[in-house]
Amino acid sequence: MKHEIRFIINGESRSLTVLSQQTLLEVLREDLGLTSPKHGCSTGECGACSVLLNGEVVNSCMVLAAEVDGADILTVEGLATDDELHPLQKSFIDHHGVQCGYCASGMLISAKALLNRTSRPHEEEIREALVGNLCRCGAYADIIKSIQVASRARR
Amino acid sequence: MKAFDYIRPNSLEEAGRYFAQGKSVKILGGGATLFLQLQNGELAPDIVMDVKDIPGFRDVRYHHNHGLKLGAAVNLQHLVTGLEIRRHYPLLNQTAHQLASPQIRNRATIGGTLAWASPVSELAASMLCYDAVCHTWRPEGARAIPIGELYLGDFKTALGPDELITHVHLPSFPVRTFGVYQRQTVRHDGRRMIAGAAALAVRKHNALTNWRIAVLGVDDRPKRMPEAEALLAGAPAEEDIEQALAAVQDNIHPQDVVYARADYRRTVLDSLLRRSIQAIIDNLQDYNA
Ligand SMILES: Cc1cc2nc3c(=O)[nH]c(=O)nc-3n(C[C@H](O)[C@H](O)[C@H](O)COP(=O)(O)OP(=O)(O)OC[C@H]3O[C@@H](n4cnc5c(N)ncnc54)[C@H](O)[C@@H]3O)c2cc1C
Ligand code: FES
Ligand code: FES
Repeated sequence: MKHEIRFIINGESRSLTVLSQQTLLEVLREDLGLTSPKHGCSTGECGACSVLLNGEVVNSCMVLAAEVDGADILTVEGLATDDELHPLQKSFIDHHGVQCGYCASGMLISAKALLNRTSRPHEEEIREALVGNLCRCGAYADIIKSIQVASRARR
Repeated sequence: MKAFDYIRPNSLEEAGRYFAQGKSVKILGGGATLFLQLQNGELAPDIVMDVKDIPGFRDVRYHHNHGLKLGAAVNLQHLVTGLEIRRHYPLLNQTAHQLASPQIRNRATIGGTLAWASPVSELAASMLCYDAVCHTWRPEGARAIPIGELYLGDFKTALGPDELITHVHLPSFPVRTFGVYQRQTVRHDGRRMIAGAAALAVRKHNALTNWRIAVLGVDDRPKRMPEAEALLAGAPAEEDIEQALAAVQDNIHPQDVVYARADYRRTVLDSLLRRSIQAIIDNLQDYNA
């Protein structure tokens, strides 16, 4: 079955035709060319496909595209403004929060969701916010540090 | 995923019409379980029916005499952040806080999680302690199923194929209700569950009454342990706790899994439950101090 959907993606309104069985992850990557959400497991375990759906972090591999009609979605492509990277992105670069980088988009999105509700999270809160994001390189310590520093810089 | 039709009814009657068409229908809550089954081909329904727009399905209502009503489409994250849950249903709050990840909790629903009759369902264990009642609807009418009767073991429920959970109801509990949940998993996000132990008790004068114990991961379904509860009544002494723990061991049937042998699950459960019970007793002592 086909669905005409309209939603806001990274601040821009888009209309699209999708099939019932297409996931949001597929549509973002294949139809919209937004490749920051990565395909890791399709089972909700790795968080590489994380996006913000109406401000809340979700795994886009576990959302149907047809479900997001009318929603507001943010991917890492929408974090930076014009020519300036988001403080989280800068901090990930400065503090080695990126090794191979496969998990980085998901980590950034989970971090963004956290900072949206807590401006100065302590380490335990950061760890909790990252429970759904796996890093196969094991860069967790630097990822946590990157988020901590970014939150202090931001204010 | 195989092709299906995604539909989103706006009323129970509309949902009922889809069931009556003779096509295979699967209900969609948050998809945390359903998507795995669709992706691996275990299920290939004609219709995937999203129930989040049905009136009342997103309701949360609390009343100090009547208790708590949670609509089937309320997400699990609400159990973490909702003020009425944090205040009045501490065990539910603690359980949800540990359950899965923010990504899963933001999507997974009360209805979908209750319908997921896994032997390791943590929400089910907590709901068992609160004597929750599951309210359902199907074309023939509505009915209420006490949560203890919903699970038939080995992933089976008492729900019919065309039966929707509309909401769940929890009776009200006195303010001084203590609840503690302890779990042991291989992965922090809850995958590879070894065992879990939920305990609840109500402070009355200087004693603890109304003990409820529920365990998971150690039988074909999450279940209450009435024998142990009876032994804990009042202010349990050391030997009462030992007897209660022994009663639990007599009433469970854990299975070997690749990451934990049955005897290990027994040992782990024993430690977890001991901790849960002790934490409740400590709560009482802190309160009295
Ligand atoms: C990565 C990951 C980690 C997890 N960690 C944990 C954990 O730590 N602890 C734990 O207990 N569980 C855990 N789970 C399991 C998780 O709790 C369940 O998968 C989820 O809560 C199911 O809810 P849902 O709304 O997504 O259901 P869905 O997947 O949408 O549906 C599940 C089943 O219920 C049916 N259904 C849905 N809504 C209704 C309704 N209203 N009425 C009748 N039937 C309905 C569906 O048809 C389907 O058969 C985890 C799952 C994943 C993917
Ligand atoms: S690809 Fe979505 S959680 Fe792993
Ligand atoms: S940096 Fe490689 S997966 Fe995290």
